[in-house]
Amino acid sequence: MTHAAVAASAMRPPFPAERGVDVYNKKLGMWVFLGSEVMFFTALIGSYVILRFGAPGPWALPGKVLNIPVTAFNTFLLICSSVSMVKAYAAIANGDQKWLKIWFGLTILCGAGFVAVQAYEYTHLIHHGFLPSGYRDGSELAELAAANPVMYGQAVAGLYGSTFFTMTGFHGFHVTCGVISMLYLYVTRVLPGKYTKDDHAGVEVVGLYWHFVDLVWIILFTIVYLI
Amino acid sequence: MHTAQPHKHPNYLLIWLYLFLLTVAELGLAFELPISRNMKLILLLFLAVWKALLVALFFMHLKFERWNLRILAIVPLPLAAILILAVITEHIW
Amino acid sequence: MTTAAAPHAAPHAGHAPMGFWRKYIFSTDHKIIGIQFLFVSLFFLLVGGFLAMQIRWQLGFPGRPMPGGGILPETMAPGGVILPEYYIQLVTMHGTFMVFFAIMPLLVGVFANFLIPLKLGAHDMAFPRINMWSFWTAFLAGMIMLAGFFVPDGAARAGWTSYAPLSARPDLSGASYGQMLWCISLVCLGLSSILGSLNYITTVINNRAPGMTWFRMPLSVWALFITAILGLLALPVLSGAAIMLLFDQTIGTHFFDPAAGGQALLWQHLFWFFGHPEVYILILPAMGMVSDIIANGSRKPIFGYHSMVFAIVGIAFLGWMVWGHHMFVSGMNPTLGSTFMVSTLIIAVPSAIKVFNWMGTMWRGNLHFHVPMLNAVGFVAMFVIGGLSGIYMAATPLDMFIHDTYFIVAHIHYVLFGGSLFALFGAITYWYPKMFGRVMSERWGKIHFWLTLLFYNCTFFPMHIYGMGGAMRRIYDPTQYDFLRPYQPLNQFITISAFLLFATQLIFFVNFWWSLFKGKKAEQNPWHDNGLEWTLPSPAPHGNWERVPTVYRGPYEFSSPEVAEDYLPQTRKLPTDREPVLAPVAGA
Repeated sequence: MTHAAVAASAMRPPFPAERGVDVYNKKLGMWVFLGSEVMFFTALIGSYVILRFGAPGPWALPGKVLNIPVTAFNTFLLICSSVSMVKAYAAIANGDQKWLKIWFGLTILCGAGFVAVQAYEYTHLIHHGFLPSGYRDGSELAELAAANPVMYGQAVAGLYGSTFFTMTGFHGFHVTCGVISMLYLYVTRVLPGKYTKDDHAGVEVVGLYWHFVDLVWIILFTIVYLI
Repeated sequence: MHTAQPHKHPNYLLIWLYLFLLTVAELGLAFELPISRNMKLILLLFLAVWKALLVALFFMHLKFERWNLRILAIVPLPLAAILILAVITEHIW
Repeated sequence: MTTAAAPHAAPHAGHAPMGFWRKYIFSTDHKIIGIQFLFVSLFFLLVGGFLAMQIRWQLGFPGRPMPGGGILPETMAPGGVILPEYYIQLVTMHGTFMVFFAIMPLLVGVFANFLIPLKLGAHDMAFPRINMWSFWTAFLAGMIMLAGFFVPDGAARAGWTSYAPLSARPDLSGASYGQMLWCISLVCLGLSSILGSLNYITTVINNRAPGMTWFRMPLSVWALFITAILGLLALPVLSGAAIMLLFDQTIGTHFFDPAAGGQALLWQHLFWFFGHPEVYILILPAMGMVSDIIANGSRKPIFGYHSMVFAIVGIAFLGWMVWGHHMFVSGMNPTLGSTFMVSTLIIAVPSAIKVFNWMGTMWRGNLHFHVPMLNAVGFVAMFVIGGLSGIYMAATPLDMFIHDTYFIVAHIHYVLFGGSLFALFGAITYWYPKMFGRVMSERWGKIHFWLTLLFYNCTFFPMHIYGMGGAMRRIYDPTQYDFLRPYQPLNQFITISAFLLFATQLIFFVNFWWSLFKGKKAEQNPWHDNGLEWTLPSPAPHGNWERVPTVYRGPYEFSSPEVAEDYLPQTRKLPTDREPVLAPVAGA
């Protein structure tokens, strides 16, 4: 392979940098970007941990306000989308166009399903009176909380709403961005068969982002819904 | 395939099964169980970290990358830990 | 994959000539983007300076109508007399503009963009289009921030640190839309910095020319690289915090509202967890560029290159665990306070290493005091003063006394103006020929430097004394306090010096614009420097190199006995030099 051909490939550095990380630009850029995403979610999740640790009253028990079965299904969806993403990557790494299309399409479907379920969950919660500012006065939740202040964490309902909606909302925003960008790649690159065995940077890079979003959800699901 | 080190693809469906079972285990822990709340907390966090590691190592291929890329992924974690631990001490002094 | 000097076709070669919009406005060329950042951030530097002049007028001559203040609306300064509500906006926006929209983009936006590819021998950044977005997001952020002055209730009023709950509750601060715009603007700026940083980091790691090993990189690139890491990891925390603050104001969350269980201190922790790395974002690139300039002006290799690199890394690393020293009087956990005190004192060590290395470089050098060198030496001197007062206030007991006084104001201006801005004046003059193909006036540059040094010290040094006398920062009218009344003549002296300092900066701006059109045409290597950028014509062409250069040595080989000239470019091959060995590409 000539050097010019090597440099032309999208999946390698323009020229081999000595003692570099030996990862092509887009992938390295995505990893670096994910580093900043870690810090962004640290700000949000860290605030939740800190606020909950120093909260003036007990937090609502798991499952009292939030619907665990629905979000468990959502977790399942996201894990499925993650595995289909990595299967899509494995398919194109072997030059398999057909299975790339199938697995990539499944990923988008599962991702979109996650967003839809989350939208349903939000409307449901808001309908029952769970808002970013706490339990809405006169709502079903507010009455339940008045009857069982400890079980529903009435004293810290404001913090509960604030942290819950901010964390899951920004996670949902990231999922939405991921779905949109995957849809874009699907239409412009996957369906026309532009990814090849040698050049499939887009699948790998968007996959990294997608797995990261999945990883954040794994953490969020545990610490927001189950603890 | 000459991106990262060429590697054999692991059995992704097996990882998926692990993730599924771990999630089921987490859900089981959410019920009322005859163990203390702290025990529950530790178990849940342990399971969450396990799942996160599975995703990072196999789906994000960190297991097959070279150390210089792994370091890149690890660098923010101590910073996050410093921030959260330092501020938490506000409440226990 | 056999030859080391394999041809690397320029990615832009053979493109059709682009129209005005693609070439100058929505450009993806790193040099144009750097110049765009330069113009925009110089504008914001002027805006920030203008706000400072109003602050100084009020402090020097409280209650008297400001000359020309009559054009301001009744809600700001009726009859030219600054209202307290407007004064606090001035203080807030001066800090915000200077930190986020003047110094930070000047250092990182301008010089990281301009220098990294040029000094490493790359055709462009790793992601040119993301680079363009980084600029336009920053521009948008600046406009949103500026819009704060034109909305009902005026701009943000909670100080540039926006301490909650004052900032979180519009009914407390009196600023509703202004504070929201402040938050939105900083979220945009955070995004811009992240996009920029990931570009810089990827470029430095991946796109170095053959032979440009890590320890042949110029210190400016090292500093910008480490700065990019700091920005990458610190700015998202600010964005997250600003989003929470915005939610507190708009959708009724209670993150920072103690009345509902929130924590006001949480904001301070998040802000300073970002804010202290930010301090190093604002000084490290300046240190890096000053190192380049001082080696050039002394015609000597930089003293202790490796220790300089490790000092940069050390400062960046320690910078993550010192943020609490901004919060000694906040009621923070005192044990934590002691930890922060110790870590802050330790950070003086790498800083001192740098200062001594600069002095070591100049020692017995063949000193050429051109304008960049003058400014660089000014930087070192002023940084020493600012750094020493920094060690001072790292001690908790002492900080208790001087916290939130003009002593702190003096300190921050010694490191930000005396430090970063002097370095920037030097750096702009130094790389101006490569940017615009012309040289800035040497004579006016020198006049500007000496006058700035004089008036700058007259302005900020007395603030140490004023602060020790107990003057709180952000007070509206110092004559209301008995114990401050004796200091009023000093205050007026500061004000007059500040006006002269501002006027002196106009020399720089006029010099800048005049040289753009009428300056002497620059030769290829006007400073006889070794860096890769000086092997290009001035101004550097689109796409930089036809063929990527090969690097044979570090950037500081001045006065080498091996050649007749007193400089030895990084690309020049001596008979003893070996061709760089290329790392094998995996899988090839």
